[in-house]
Amino acid sequence: MQTRWDVGEPHKPTINTSTEQLKSDLLTLNMGPQHPATHGVLRIEIWTDSEIVAHAIPHIGYLHRCMEKHCENLDFRGVIPFVDRLDYLASMNMEWTYAMTIEKMLGTEVPRRAELLRILTCELQRIASHLMAFGTYAIDLGAFSPFLYAFDYREKILRLFEEVSGARLLYNYIWIGGLWNDWSPEQISRVTAFCDDMEEEAKKYHELLSMNKIFIARTAHVGVMSVQDCIDFGATGPILRGAGMKWDLRKNEPYSLYSEFDFDVPVGTGEVGEPGDCWNRYIVRMREVVESIKIIRQVIEKLEPGSIMGKVPKVMKLPEGEVYFRSECPRGELAFHLVTKQDSKEPFRLKVRSPCFTHTSMLPRVAPGQMIADFVATVGSIDIVLGEIDR
Amino acid sequence: MNTQVHHTSSVKEYFGGLWDGIYSSLKGMWITFRYVWAVAPVSIEYPEVREVLPERARMRLFNDALNCISCTQCAMACPVDCIYIASEKLPEGSEIKKTSNGQAIRLHLTQFTIDTALCCYCGLCTTVCPTECLTHSHDYEFSAYTIDSMKYDYLAPDIVAWRDRIVKA
Repeated sequence: MQTRWDVGEPHKPTINTSTEQLKSDLLTLNMGPQHPATHGVLRIEIWTDSEIVAHAIPHIGYLHRCMEKHCENLDFRGVIPFVDRLDYLASMNMEWTYAMTIEKMLGTEVPRRAELLRILTCELQRIASHLMAFGTYAIDLGAFSPFLYAFDYREKILRLFEEVSGARLLYNYIWIGGLWNDWSPEQISRVTAFCDDMEEEAKKYHELLSMNKIFIARTAHVGVMSVQDCIDFGATGPILRGAGMKWDLRKNEPYSLYSEFDFDVPVGTGEVGEPGDCWNRYIVRMREVVESIKIIRQVIEKLEPGSIMGKVPKVMKLPEGEVYFRSECPRGELAFHLVTKQDSKEPFRLKVRSPCFTHTSMLPRVAPGQMIADFVATVGSIDIVLGEIDR
Repeated sequence: MNTQVHHTSSVKEYFGGLWDGIYSSLKGMWITFRYVWAVAPVSIEYPEVREVLPERARMRLFNDALNCISCTQCAMACPVDCIYIASEKLPEGSEIKKTSNGQAIRLHLTQFTIDTALCCYCGLCTTVCPTECLTHSHDYEFSAYTIDSMKYDYLAPDIVAWRDRIVKA
């Protein structure tokens, strides 16, 4: 007689003692798009083997605004507000690079005072951008108070910019051929006072964070990007310098008046950790702040009254051709590739070579084998701005 | 795959590292501690205390319609096309008025609307204005519930009345 329990062989759970068979699949985890450690809307798909990252794939495009295509329908002056929104933490540098691209094509002579003031604003902007990187990197690693100190000083720079240009973040201040407004002597004297304060403050930051044992334990020997990796991927800026290569366009390919100034290019030397790790990338930024102060002091010495706007045609028509111009921005090498048609009032094509894009592409290279917490430290240390990646 | 090496530390190294961690953290905390008395507060209590905006601050746009000559240069300079202007010819034999800086108003302005929600506050429109009637005011508190209410018709009587209030010198 067949009972209703008789359904064939009973299920016997197989118990394996070897750990090889206990291993399951990799767990797919989405870091982002609203993760605070990703500095914007970046989604990183990480495949984790328990706590260890096996593979990481950055997914970009959440902040895509079609900027390059939009610029093809704007006159050359109207592009500047859009260029501002690339790297919104270093808008002055973006504007300056764009203005220099157009000036290179037009052959415009920029007055000396305008050039000096451009260097002044862009070096101040570099300090502001690095302060932001310092503050947010500390937050990534769980230290909150350095952020407040950094923002206190960043605020002073933004206040100066607000008085000079009228906006705090998206300035539209550096125009093709010169500047919109002039700096008053009172504002210049405030820059001098700021430089004195900032030098003292930078020493404080080293005590607060750089030499903190816990911070060193989190960042030294973490996320090492070698010089060869950096060259292979096309990394520039603090990433490349942190790896130990002395490459700075302000020194190696001086544009504007940078050849007149005396400053050093800080590189990661590996006094803590090893060259190319998170700590060295971080310290390169902090040392660049001091170098920028040096440049600003020299600019103020050289300043003399004069015109701030060069001769630019009122209706801007560019000849047919193409031009590529690159400059050193806080995050690396920014370049514009501009193609124009004969007597065109708008760009035929404006390609942006953004530094953060190449830096993000290095993440799959450094991620495998890292702990998740170290991966967060690595993402923070490359200091990405999504506005520039997605455009 | 770059794997990290986790080597075990001796007792001396362990406690030495512990002490270094505590000592360097205390050093950082001492900096924070000094801020308790020595440094003036950097923040302001916003609705009660308001910051004085700089002269060049770019806030809400205002068009003084009485001085506008309908040249549409601002609309052409605008990178986001948020300025809508319509005008018609003056009827034959009507009196030609003049703006405050002496330019003749040859067209009758029938519409001047700015979509403030679209505006990017770049200030390009104000630089091309020949009569300087389009300016950035210092008003920055104008949030609204609907996106349509962000469209300002500068010919409406209530907005024309701002003229006495916010036009910059």
